[in-house]
Amino acid sequence: MNASQGKLPQESPDPGRWLDDHGDYLFKYAVFRLRDNNAAEDAVQETFLAALKAYQQFEGRGSERTWLVGILKHKIVDHFRRAVREAPLGEESEEASEHREFFERPDPWQGHWNTNYAPNEWHATPADLIERNDFWKVFNDCLSPLPQRTASAFTLREVDGLKSEEICEILSIKVNNLWVMLHRARLHLRNCLELNWFRREE
Amino acid sequence: MAVKLYDKLKHSIRYFLLRNLPTCQQTVEKISQSMERRLTLRERTNLKLHLWICAWCQWYLEHLHLIRDTARAKADEPPDFISGPGLSNDARERIRRRLNNQN
Repeated sequence: MNASQGKLPQESPDPGRWLDDHGDYLFKYAVFRLRDNNAAEDAVQETFLAALKAYQQFEGRGSERTWLVGILKHKIVDHFRRAVREAPLGEESEEASEHREFFERPDPWQGHWNTNYAPNEWHATPADLIERNDFWKVFNDCLSPLPQRTASAFTLREVDGLKSEEICEILSIKVNNLWVMLHRARLHLRNCLELNWFRREE
Repeated sequence: MAVKLYDKLKHSIRYFLLRNLPTCQQTVEKISQSMERRLTLRERTNLKLHLWICAWCQWYLEHLHLIRDTARAKADEPPDFISGPGLSNDARERIRRRLNNQN
């Protein structure tokens, strides 16, 4: 072994080592977005298989992990596309709740926050939350009741920061539809996080 | 006396605005859209005035941005939240066998 070996492309790929070095990371990356262990395992396996085929194009440029994550991103998007093809967008029942009860009031202020659901101050910054695995568990559980496509749209937008047009293309929806989905996902998630995380923290 | 008058005036303005501006239900939808597109001048004005008098919707806006900033900060550093720190042994072995067959 010489000192420069780490930088030079290896003659043949070593998928066993990829699995050891990056398997857990790629799995966590996928499960955070797909919220389904089986689907995430499949995406990781497909990533390594595609990486074997495309190894010539990698040639040791850049970091191995970045290269593998780039492939995984495509596999995750493929999963979302496949889910859409297999379950075409249904009628109203496929949509997340509007949560009208948040704005029902007995007084003449109908349409304003019902005090039972009105937001409270959170006293938190991203830095307080990022390393808290118990927070991410709550976050994940709060996304689970949402319809699949709504949760996928939310993840693509708020985690990966994809543009509206890209998300609309992946999920085969119109932009107005995307905005409604994101609004309902946010309304639901914000309330769920407040109930299950921010009020408990106090 | 002056303070009392000021409070009364403030209360009246607040009441007037709440009665005439879009409701909280309509406002939270605009807050969400403001994260997706540039609102029109009229929408922006209504939103600003509503936020000026409504702490609930102000917090709502802050919370949506906190959720976005936190989620995006986690994009490259995924959490261990479902099945511990990574792949299960079964899945790892299955993938290893599949890769060996391929190689």
